[in-house]
This record gives sequence, C-alpha cells and structure tokens, in this order.
Amino acid sequence: MEIKKPITSAASKLVLRLKILAKEKEITRRKLVVTARQLAVTAREKEITRRKLAVTAQELRRLHATLEKKVLRRTKDLEQIRSKNEAILTSIGDGLVVVDKEGRITYINKSFEEMLGWKSQEILGKSMVQVVPREDQNGIGVLFKERILTQVLAGQKFVADLTNPFYYIRKDKSRFPVSSIVAPVILNKKVVGAVEVFRDITKEKEIDKAKTEFVSLASHQLRTPLSTVNWYSEMLLTGDVGEVTIDQKKYLEEIYNGNQRMVDLVNTLLDVSRIELGTLVIELKPTDIVKLAQNVINEHKLQIIEKKIKLLPSFEDNIPLIKTDPKLLRMVIQNLLSNAIKYTPDGGRVSISLALEEEANVVLTIADTGYGIPKNQQNKIFTKLFRADNVIGRDTEGTGLGLYIAKSIVEQAGGKLWFESKENQGSTFYATLPLRKIKKH
Amino acid sequence: MTNKIKEKKTILVVEDERPLVQIIQAKLEKVGFDVITARTVDQGLDYLEEVGTIDAVWLDHYLPGQKTGLDFVVQMKKEGSKWAKIPIFVVSNTASNGNLRSYLRLDINKYSVKAEHRLDEITNDIMLFLK
Repeated sequence: MEIKKPITSAASKLVLRLKILAKEKEITRRKLVVTARQLAVTAREKEITRRKLAVTAQELRRLHATLEKKVLRRTKDLEQIRSKNEAILTSIGDGLVVVDKEGRITYINKSFEEMLGWKSQEILGKSMVQVVPREDQNGIGVLFKERILTQVLAGQKFVADLTNPFYYIRKDKSRFPVSSIVAPVILNKKVVGAVEVFRDITKEKEIDKAKTEFVSLASHQLRTPLSTVNWYSEMLLTGDVGEVTIDQKKYLEEIYNGNQRMVDLVNTLLDVSRIELGTLVIELKPTDIVKLAQNVINEHKLQIIEKKIKLLPSFEDNIPLIKTDPKLLRMVIQNLLSNAIKYTPDGGRVSISLALEEEANVVLTIADTGYGIPKNQQNKIFTKLFRADNVIGRDTEGTGLGLYIAKSIVEQAGGKLWFESKENQGSTFYATLPLRKIKKH
Repeated sequence: MTNKIKEKKTILVVEDERPLVQIIQAKLEKVGFDVITARTVDQGLDYLEEVGTIDAVWLDHYLPGQKTGLDFVVQMKKEGSKWAKIPIFVVSNTASNGNLRSYLRLDINKYSVKAEHRLDEITNDIMLFLK
C-alpha cells in the first residue's frame, strides 16, 4: 500500500493540473470570443465612419468647386465695377487728384494730365503741393502750411473760387486761374487723404474783369456830369452869380448834398474796381496808426455829437510805427468806425481800441452797442453790395461796399478782418495788421 | 476867396466839356483873372504861342483827339521851352495812377480830381501860387 500510494498521488496531481489547465483554457477561449465580438463591433463602427467621411469629403469637394466659381464671378464683377469707376474718374472734365494722408499723389485723372502737363507715372507718389505750385493773383507763391490741401488734411473742406482766386502752375511753368474744391477722404472716422477737383476759370475771370472794367469806365464817365452839377450849384450857393433867397439856398443845398453822395458812391465803386483789377496803388510808408485813428475819430465828431454817442477810445502807448499804406488803412478805420456810429441808435456806445498782439500784430477793435447783424446773414456781410435786412429800413446811405473794401484792404496787407455780432446787442469788428517793424535809425 | 487880385493875370484853361469850361471861366473871371479857353492840346499850344503872356494853365487830362494833357505838359516842359516856368494845374476826373505819376514827375504844380474838389479850392490854389 505504501508503494502504491505515491503512484496514485502523482497521477491524481496530474489529473488535477490538467483539469486546471482545461479550465484556464476555457476562460481564455471565452475571453477571446468576447474580444472577437468587440472587434467585430469596432470594425463595423469604423466602416460607418469611413462611409461618413467619404460623404463629407465629397460634399467638401462640391462646395469648394461652387465657391471657386462664385469667387471667380465676383472678382469679374468687381473688376468691371472698378474699371467702370476708373473710366468715370478718368473721364471727368474737371481735374481730379487724390492724395494720401501725407499729401502724396495716389491718383490723377486725364483732365489733370491735360491741364497741368504732367503724366500720371511722372508724379504718382510725389507731393501734390510740390508738384503743382499755387500762386495768388500777384504771383506770390502760397506757402505749404497755407495750402488748402494741407488744411484739408487736417480735416476741413475748402472751396476756392472767383472770390478767392488762385493760379496753378503747369509743368511748363505757365499758369492758369483755378477754382477748386478740396475735401478730406474719411474712412472709419479718420482722414486718410484728400480729393481735389479743380477747373480752369480763365473765361470766368475774363468776364469778371470785363465787368469790372465797365464799372470803372462808367464811374469815370459819371464824374464829369457830377462835376458840372457840383460846380454850378457851388457857384449859386456862394452867391458868385447873384444872391439867392433863403428858400432857394435850401433847395440848392439839397442838390449839392445829393450830388456829393453820388460822388462818394462813384468813388467807392472806383475803389472796388481798382481792388478787383489789381490797380490799387499801394504806397507803404511808416505810419502812426494811433494818430490815423484819432484823425478818423475827429472827422466823425459831428455825427458822434449829433447821435449823442459815447465814444470810448483806448490806444496802447507802445504801438510802433508800422509800414503800411496810410490812405488805405484810413479807409479801413473810416469804414468800420462810420458803420459803428451809423448802425448804433442815439445814446449808444462805440469803442475803438488799438493794441499789440504778441509783438507781431496790431489789433484794431471797434465795438458798438448797435443793431447788430442777424445771425442768418452774418456769412454774407462781406459780400459786395450786401446790406443786412435790419438796417436797410433804418438807413438809406449805405452802399454795402464798405466792409467788402475794408476786408480786401486788410487782407491785401496780410492781415485779417472778422467780427462778432448779436442782433440788437451790437457788433465788434477786429482787424489785425502784421507789424512790419521799422528799424530805428 | 473872392478878393480881387491886384494886377490882371491870364489863365489858359484847356478843357473840352462846354458846361465845365463856362463855369470855370465864370469863377476865374469872378476872382479877377483873364481867361482864355482851349478845347484841344494843339489849340492850347497855339494860344500859348500867340498870347505870349499866360501866367498859369488849368489843364484837363482827356481831351478830344489823340493827344492828352500829358502831351501838353511834355511840350511845355521840354528842353529850351520858354513856357517851362508857367505853373500847371491839372484838373481831371480820369487820369490813371500811372498818368498821375507821370504828371508829378513832369513837375506840375498840382493835380486835383474834379469831382472831389470845389471850384473855390482849385481857384484858391492858383491864386495862392500867383500871389
């Protein structure tokens, strides 16, 4: 038994191991079956995804093709619009130039080329202000900082026409008068450049000149019969041709005074035509402007007293002699002061002052407590022959030329003339005159 | 202004407007001048020669014909002229600034704009000068 026993034990051990192995194998087999099933599911899912992807790719290809077509069509459309716009710009009868923020030319049209003699390729990218110099009517070049273009690039819009004439200089240095409108090009609320449209106004200038010459000629001719009336009534009034009765004298005085007014009007018209024809002779002399102002005041003493106007002069005592035309400056002061007196009701106040401004200018200020200029007519007040509604009924003697003349004279002297006014409160006129200091000997 | 002057002096008035000539003559005679009137430059120059004793000239600028008052003054003031010393008073409405300068360069005595001066004033200028 004892011998048999180990054999039996070894066999049963083997059986046991085989049993275990069989069991493990079964487990493994079951696991494999599960895995195989899972793999089958994954494969199916993969196939579905693959199919889906294939569909998407196809769709994408189709969309791409359509898009390409659309882009092509749109590009073609845009090109057509562009060439149409360019054809329009190029064909505009007025000169056209577009500049960038720095004032460099980015586009010019055909009329620009024809009018100024420059070809587009010669000047693209160059500074407009340098390529095309501007002159005023006296042939004086306009400085860069004063050029309209420069000011427009700072955000303003500008119109230069017959009332503010300029000349453009062609490539060949000849010149022609222009009327131009310059406006900023604004993109996203920022000035990105400017566009200027200009026109040759030689014809208009000629017509304007002919008109002025006519006025000048007519005014000169008018003076002869005016002199006749003047001198005949003068001789009657002085009794040189026999005594006249008191009544007759009154009548004669009316004739004489009416005629004097006509002489004044004709003289004013002549001044205007001289200013416009540029034949106004300017004689610069060292001028004591304070003395000039005092003289003008003295000339108006009678009206000041008659209207019981309170006159308040105030002249700084450090005002040097300035080099200017005393006759013309006198006209400015005379016009402004007589207006202030004329358009201020009895008992009102008129002040006249002269002051130095930063050692560079003399500022003349004439203020009144008069009728003022209605707000809606303030922009027309320097226009020739214009008279504001609120004074036409009150005063018959104005010509509407005084302020026009005064402004022209001041501007010709390099100064500025402007005003502030409120209806029924009064007006204040300011004139600045550049101080061309005279060296002391 | 209407004081008579002592010895009679003669004024040559060169002016073409009839009513003006009449009133100028009346005024000058009133204050005691003898007056000779001419309508053109050539007529004026003839009278200067013929009369011989002209004391002053009242001269308009624009006159009938090609010649103006300037031509008249040039003739009077030219080298060796016996009239060079006769005072000239230009009284005109139409002389341009350029012409005005030429007159002053030619050393006329005074330029007055007709429409802006009384007869009294111009007559006085002449009287003061001839005193």
